[in-house]
Amino acid sequence: MKRSLFGRIWPNATAVVLFVGFVFPVYWMFATAFKPTGDIITENPVWFPTHFTFGHFDKAVHADHFWTLVANSVTVTLCSVLLSLVIALFAAFALARMRFKGRRGFIVTFMLAQMAPWEVMIIAIYMIVRDSDMLDSLVPLTVFYAMMVLPLTVLTLRGYIAAVPKELEESAMVDGCTRLQAFRKVIFPLLAPGLMATSLFGFITAWNEFPLVLILNKDIEKQTLPLWLSQFQTAFGDDWGATMAASSLFALPILILFIFLQRKAVSGLTDGAVKG
Amino acid sequence: MSVQTEGTDTAGGPAVREGRAPAPPRGADRASRSPAGRPAAAPYLLLLPALLATLVLLGWPLVKNGMLSFQNLNPRQLIQHLTEWNGFHNYQQVLTGPDFWKVVERSVLFTAANVVLIMLFGTLIGLLLARLGKKMRLTLLVGLVLAWAMPVIAATTVYQWLFAQRFGVVNWVLDKLGWHSMADYNWMGSQFSTFSVIVLLIVWQSIPFVAINLYAATTTIPKELYEAASLDGAGAWQSFTFVTLPFLRPFLYSTTFLEVIWVFKAFPQVFAMNEGGPDRLTETLPIYAYVEGVGNQHFGVGAAISFLTILVLLVITSYYLRMVLKQEEDEL
Amino acid sequence: MKRKLASAIVIAGMMVSVAACGGNSGNDSKDAGPESWKGQTLTVWTMDGSAPPQWSKDVQAAFEKKTGAKLKFETQKWDGIQQKITTALSEDNPPDVLEVGNTQTPAYAATGGLADLGDLKRSIGADWTASVSKSSVYEGKQYAAPWYFANRVVIYNKKIWAQAGIKSTPKTRDEFLKDLDTIGKKTDAEPIYLPGQNWYFLDGLIVGQGGDLVKKQGDKYVSNLADPKVAAAMEIYKKYAAYSKAPKDKDEANPQQAAVFAKGKTGAFIGMGWEAATAVQANKSIEKDLGYFTIPGATADKPEGVFLGGSNLAVAQNSKKQSLAKEFLKIALSDQYEGELAKLSGVIPNKESLESNLKGNAAAEAAAPGAAVGGTTPLIPEWAAVENTPNPIKSYMTAVLNGKAPAAAAKDVEGQINQRLAQQN
Repeated sequence: MKRSLFGRIWPNATAVVLFVGFVFPVYWMFATAFKPTGDIITENPVWFPTHFTFGHFDKAVHADHFWTLVANSVTVTLCSVLLSLVIALFAAFALARMRFKGRRGFIVTFMLAQMAPWEVMIIAIYMIVRDSDMLDSLVPLTVFYAMMVLPLTVLTLRGYIAAVPKELEESAMVDGCTRLQAFRKVIFPLLAPGLMATSLFGFITAWNEFPLVLILNKDIEKQTLPLWLSQFQTAFGDDWGATMAASSLFALPILILFIFLQRKAVSGLTDGAVKG
Repeated sequence: MSVQTEGTDTAGGPAVREGRAPAPPRGADRASRSPAGRPAAAPYLLLLPALLATLVLLGWPLVKNGMLSFQNLNPRQLIQHLTEWNGFHNYQQVLTGPDFWKVVERSVLFTAANVVLIMLFGTLIGLLLARLGKKMRLTLLVGLVLAWAMPVIAATTVYQWLFAQRFGVVNWVLDKLGWHSMADYNWMGSQFSTFSVIVLLIVWQSIPFVAINLYAATTTIPKELYEAASLDGAGAWQSFTFVTLPFLRPFLYSTTFLEVIWVFKAFPQVFAMNEGGPDRLTETLPIYAYVEGVGNQHFGVGAAISFLTILVLLVITSYYLRMVLKQEEDEL
Repeated sequence: MKRKLASAIVIAGMMVSVAACGGNSGNDSKDAGPESWKGQTLTVWTMDGSAPPQWSKDVQAAFEKKTGAKLKFETQKWDGIQQKITTALSEDNPPDVLEVGNTQTPAYAATGGLADLGDLKRSIGADWTASVSKSSVYEGKQYAAPWYFANRVVIYNKKIWAQAGIKSTPKTRDEFLKDLDTIGKKTDAEPIYLPGQNWYFLDGLIVGQGGDLVKKQGDKYVSNLADPKVAAAMEIYKKYAAYSKAPKDKDEANPQQAAVFAKGKTGAFIGMGWEAATAVQANKSIEKDLGYFTIPGATADKPEGVFLGGSNLAVAQNSKKQSLAKEFLKIALSDQYEGELAKLSGVIPNKESLESNLKGNAAAEAAAPGAAVGGTTPLIPEWAAVENTPNPIKSYMTAVLNGKAPAAAAKDVEGQINQRLAQQN
């Protein structure tokens, strides 16, 4: 079927417009962060920065305890993602490969758990953590963040495991592998992209979380980057250069991670997440 | 029309998964599911950690929250660790108050508007991706992924800057386009304009998930189906409604479900944008619960609102949950 | 398989124990007076901008020398502070000493979270200025110690005023407004930066009009926002705001007005004397252009009413270092350091005898005439809830500035205010 000239042009034209629309906010964040203030506060926007400055970044990283917060954020994010992946993997394997009583109930349980509105339960969580004497610690943050992403992780991984042909596993077992070995040697390597894709969701959630850490950890040495970003924004609300520099720093690790894992994420999430 | 669609819309959308690898036909898969020699306790043991985590880390706060909702809990009680039961008083206060039902209505409309826009444009962009050439597709994919990956708090801040009253680039563009009254427009000044910015932000961030996944799903539609369709004389629109759509239906259902949950729960976007203002007119249920409970230090009432919030979400998603319950029954 | 399962169970168990038990690591040692002080650490929360670094350093040195204990100052942001203090006071290891705003003190005293400082009042508080000590007394007991007080002044950019050809600072409100008009016409600067929700400035104007925000109805307090005196105050506010391009729906902290002023393109702003330091921090070169004057009133003989803001220092009831905390208060509030604070920040100290420290401090000298005619928000425990975010009075201000009639705008939010005033404690 031959397409008309118009038929060939409009998808590309639309794609260009969409590309600009989706990228512009991200671009504008970085562009503003690098522009000297004079180029930010102007009657006519400077679309492409011509003079670069690192002054705004300098201001941003010189906040109190900045590097402590970075370390905390990285620790909490990595640990919670890892924790949720490990726990979810077991559950997902059972749900994808085994037949047992109550299976349906478990799936619906995870679907329901996925709906938990965490932000509105923070006083209850606060009281639990307080009464357990665990305030100002990274441990509750880690386990609660892990829990926030656990349901979706289980449901997604279940999709991936189901997609691995059962025959591969069975033939491995015929070859003398135990079930565990079969899992490790056959299923796990095939699952790797899925695990990475699933972990993205966890990374975003844990990296972003804000209300819980605000109420649990008053000690600045135990806080995380979202608090820094929001406080920075309050203090420098009018200073868009500094605010955008802070936002850029905050967004950068996740952007890099996404670009890095993008291919896998795309193919992966299709296989898994669609089976919400 | 006799386009074959069977085998593509099996329960819950595993069809999409089959795009991967040399998957055997489902029948064979099912037949080989022999439980021989597997200890009956294994699945339960495997599920144990996840269930325990859910029970302790989610169930416990939920129960605690439920208990708090029946208490008079204000700073004095919180500080002195007092437990003062007050029956249904909090619920009574919330349900008979002037705000609650307005907020519910607003939250439902807010969720509906967002989800419709997300699904509509997400699907269109996903289909567009399928039509594009390789280079163009990769370009658009990169753009989508960047928007998708922006951390919510950073994205909210960026939108505040884009829509800033003074020196915001959006107002500048609108002014240059001839809409001069927008030159100094305060987007946070009214309910509608504030919601517009929030909706734009949420839709912008959510479309990539739908579009990219939908595109990937379309790549798994067997070409033969389209060939068969065109042999039967189907036009572009017909092959879309008879091949593409049925194939994607399970995917669309589950994605809509996820988006409904995510949008309904959206907290940082709404709260950070304008703290529910102006005049509390952009408070959705989660924000309302937070402002009344934590902000106003009326913790018992806040707990009651959050419990009602969960109920509302359950009602909204009940249709899909029922469907899943049925499907899972069929599947195994 | 077995190994994996075992580890799964271990992880699950770990999480349970982590969340459920967590061990009781609280410091349960009884407060045993001076002998036990050595090696302890006292935590003091001060608000952003309250304690000058020099003062903190000096007090810390004196405290550590005298007690052998360590002192940790933690600076708190204003955002969400009420929730932070409430939760902190409920904890086993709260900050030992905290700065509490004078308008908030009655509410916290009523919660039982603050320790009774009656003995401290007897030993060092005999000559605390009565009017400023009032807010720290609740039901006859002393729940906090007055620390410092301050009221707003006009901070202006001398260079811009000179550019506009203005020779002297205004003595009446009309002169002030006329000067702002001149600046607007003759320079490209913004005459005044006054965001729509600088609500403590409005409170001062209400004090100036002799108005009151609440009235008693039976045994309950209800909103008095619809009072014509409040409306008159709001009209004055509106006149000032007309000279500002600041957002009508933001307060003076979002963004920090001093930071805006520091850019050198603003004629004046209404703020606390110490905000000048914030401006200088943001832009060193603004320092030489800084000037202060009293907010002028309707006539030259009586300055504008102001909100007498202030802070008390309180000791958390749950603190296990009560005697150490009181020792800290004795040092921090001693004539030496109270005087130093007044000198450094230009704030009004808690004793009249220390006010000589304000000599030569331009900001403090500008503030003094205002303080004489200042007032506060209603000093009732119910009041604090009204100021919780979102503060209905701020909505009222934005509405009026956007053209709504004060009476109608007041009607819109009075229900909200009354609900908060009626809120059980």
